Amino acid sequence: MEDWKQKYLSFKEKQNKQQFSASPAKEVKLGINLKQNLQDIQQVLGEDGDLVVRQFQLYGRQDAAIIFLSSVVDENQLHEYVLKPLMTEPEDISVIPSAMDALADYIWNMTVHVAKGGRLSELYALPGTIIQGNVAVLVEGMNQALYFSLRQIEKRSIEQPQTEQIIRGSREGFIENLESNLSLLRYRLQTPDFRVQTCPLGVRTQSQAAVCFIEGIAEPRLIEEVLRRLSLIEADSIIDAGYIEQFIEDQPLSPFPQVQPTERPDKTTAALLEGRVIILVDGSPFSLIVPALFNQFFQTLDDYNERFIVGSLIRIIRLIALMFSLFFPALYVAVISFNPELMPTEFAVAISGGRAGVPFPAVLEVLIMEISMEVLREATIRLPQMIGGALSIVGVLVVGQAAVSAGLSSPTTVVIVALTTIGSFATPAYNAAIALRMLRFPLILLAGLFGLYGVMIGTIFIVNHLLFLESFGVPYMIPYMPAKIRDMKDALVRAPLWWMRQRPSFLNAPDPTRLARHTPQTYTEKIFTEEGDLDEQPPHNHDAGRGGHR
Amino acid sequence: MNNRPITTMQAVAVIVSTIIGIGILTFPRFMAEAGDSGAPMVTASGIFIAFIGFWFTASVCRKFPNETLFIFSRRLVGAGLADFLTGLIVVFFAFSSGITMRQFGEVCVSVIFKKTPIEAVILLMLLLGCLSIRRNIVKFTYIHAFYLPLILLPVLIIILVSLKEIDVLNLLPVTGNQLTPRKFTTGMLTSASLYQGTFILTLLVPFMKKPQKVMKAGASALLLIVSIYVLIVIVSVGMFGAQETLLLFYPTLETARSISLGAGLLERFDAIFIIVWVISIFTTIFSNFYMAAYAFKELARFQDHRLVASFLLPFIFGSSLLPDNVFQTYDIASATAMFGLILLTFYPFLLWLTATIREKRGRSA
Repeated sequence: MEDWKQKYLSFKEKQNKQQFSASPAKEVKLGINLKQNLQDIQQVLGEDGDLVVRQFQLYGRQDAAIIFLSSVVDENQLHEYVLKPLMTEPEDISVIPSAMDALADYIWNMTVHVAKGGRLSELYALPGTIIQGNVAVLVEGMNQALYFSLRQIEKRSIEQPQTEQIIRGSREGFIENLESNLSLLRYRLQTPDFRVQTCPLGVRTQSQAAVCFIEGIAEPRLIEEVLRRLSLIEADSIIDAGYIEQFIEDQPLSPFPQVQPTERPDKTTAALLEGRVIILVDGSPFSLIVPALFNQFFQTLDDYNERFIVGSLIRIIRLIALMFSLFFPALYVAVISFNPELMPTEFAVAISGGRAGVPFPAVLEVLIMEISMEVLREATIRLPQMIGGALSIVGVLVVGQAAVSAGLSSPTTVVIVALTTIGSFATPAYNAAIALRMLRFPLILLAGLFGLYGVMIGTIFIVNHLLFLESFGVPYMIPYMPAKIRDMKDALVRAPLWWMRQRPSFLNAPDPTRLARHTPQTYTEKIFTEEGDLDEQPPHNHDAGRGGHR
Repeated sequence: MNNRPITTMQAVAVIVSTIIGIGILTFPRFMAEAGDSGAPMVTASGIFIAFIGFWFTASVCRKFPNETLFIFSRRLVGAGLADFLTGLIVVFFAFSSGITMRQFGEVCVSVIFKKTPIEAVILLMLLLGCLSIRRNIVKFTYIHAFYLPLILLPVLIIILVSLKEIDVLNLLPVTGNQLTPRKFTTGMLTSASLYQGTFILTLLVPFMKKPQKVMKAGASALLLIVSIYVLIVIVSVGMFGAQETLLLFYPTLETARSISLGAGLLERFDAIFIIVWVISIFTTIFSNFYMAAYAFKELARFQDHRLVASFLLPFIFGSSLLPDNVFQTYDIASATAMFGLILLTFYPFLLWLTATIREKRGRSA
């Protein structure tokens, strides 16, 4: 208890003494007095419970100390590679220089076996260095400190990304640790042109952010713009990549995402190779892809890994699902309440039969059901996984069935609402799906007020908005508008890989070619003869066919 | 990005989607009135008159590829006269968008949205236009170009599906029965007044990649529009005969109504057509509204046109409520269109004349 009280008091005292930060002023240099130096550092970090100051005899003859935070430093390595060699008395004491500069060189060159590190003579920078996971070595009489990086942060293992499941493709996902994420990218992109530019963001959190791109593929102006926007952020904290996303997007008032977050390193690599720029931040398992366009939000890696016909069909299905989630309930309300004559007669009779006991107008009925569906969806996310499944069964089966028999809604409405919700989950990008899901509510209202005319006006408004949007200066609806024929190959359908010989044109990649011209598309030559005997074929026939096609 | 991003194709798209609009619904009736079975010919002949005004506009714009017409007109004919005529242009385009909207409101209310009050139909569309206008000309072009396929597709479907119902006898003689020169001229002027909208390219020229191609763009747009209109007239006159077309208030809609696709797959084709046609009306109103706001901005020497759009809204709404009934609406609409034809032919002619005589030129692009 005494301990805590003392800490509290000294905390109060410091609060009274200094208003802002405890760091010493910028000009202050390290002195030659070890005790004084330690005292100065402890004044800044002294209250931290994990601060370790270990005094010892350097080579058995000189006062010295190491300072580190035990929570971020690998102590085994510290013992083995720093403390042990420093404390060991050499057999021939004469090799140890007595001049302080030479002594520092000797420690750096001969004694400590740690790769990363450096030297410092400014006192104010030392606490920051220690916080980042460095071990500082101070020696009596030396007016500089050596530091060695032994940073070790607890991290989870690499797992399959939870938010972006795909059938065919890599099972790895990003984790929170920046270094691990970079290593995931590095091993997929073994080119020396892959560039990583890091800098800390957030005045208090000092989160390391990394801007990655491939030199010669990403357009220099785009890189420059990304770096410029990042440099303008002067926030207190960057907790997650989502913070950065909101600071750098073009039109923050739009519901549509203009930066694409992804958990998948393979997707990130593909984006890099298209000429886009990636932003990673320490502490977030999401990388941000810029620029992000409307087209990207219903593409997945599955489309590319599968054969192109299958990939294209699935992509079209996804687009239909997206349309479902936006328009279906609004069209239903408009047709039922204003223009029932547009339906086939038998169907109209069936619907009105189902609606016979429902006391509300169609728009209210659909709104109630849609809102309860959203509530269910949100609840399922919050619930622990074990209960989540149970709740969705209760929600969908029991509530849906009960609502119909209680006369709250007609069976058709339940079908419509279910289709809408399922449709919105088919969109691979979670944030884009949410935007469209939320936009369906104003559309339902317009449909209830003005019928199909209202739906049409609302749709035109949304499409106009999409046409106005830009992401890092690239029009959001490219390649549809302005029309880029070359990029249409990877839009509604996904053309065969050998047909997409160039990177997206709107990214202005300095090196636009991604597939050599002589890559064959089909192999028509026969390897096996009728008898099925490979060995009888003259060997040069194999090569003659290859590369001969286009 | 490039600061002259508009391609020639996009310029064509803007003109086409500006011109195709409400006119297409009543057009065959006017033409049948003027030309009887010669209606298609009368329709086609309108292009010559429409082309005159366009030719002057385009050639004067080509001389000043870096400015809009409102700026260089001041140097050509003096600030006073130029501003007066710009003012007339503002009034014309504002009024024209109001009256177009009223026409469409009448169609909507009588054909499909029977329960919706006409004021709501009009105001909703004008609000949409007002909100969309608050962007620059490049985005304006994107909108037109994006919607163009959605405008052409339903018209082409109607034409294709109803082709089999045409009775060729209804279209003979091609020159029409008792076609007097007087009637022919009136018909020609009426059709020409419906083809106007090419004036919108004065806004585009300063942003076009190749401003010299504006003539080509306008000409091909006009040709495309005329062929579509001629086909529509052929279809409705060929289907109903000239005399019956006269009795139909919206012959194009009747054409749509009388066709059916497949075995009752789409029973009310006209309703679907009207719903899709909202897009085409939107692009027309959007162009007119934009033109009015932009011209007003130039007239008042404002920095941008965004606020102007909001201030013009009540006037446009008011002008759309001026006519008492649907017949008066069409009378006023025809008068407005005729006024526009005269204004937008003679003003460019005046500018072209002064530019040629005084041999003025802007810096080339």
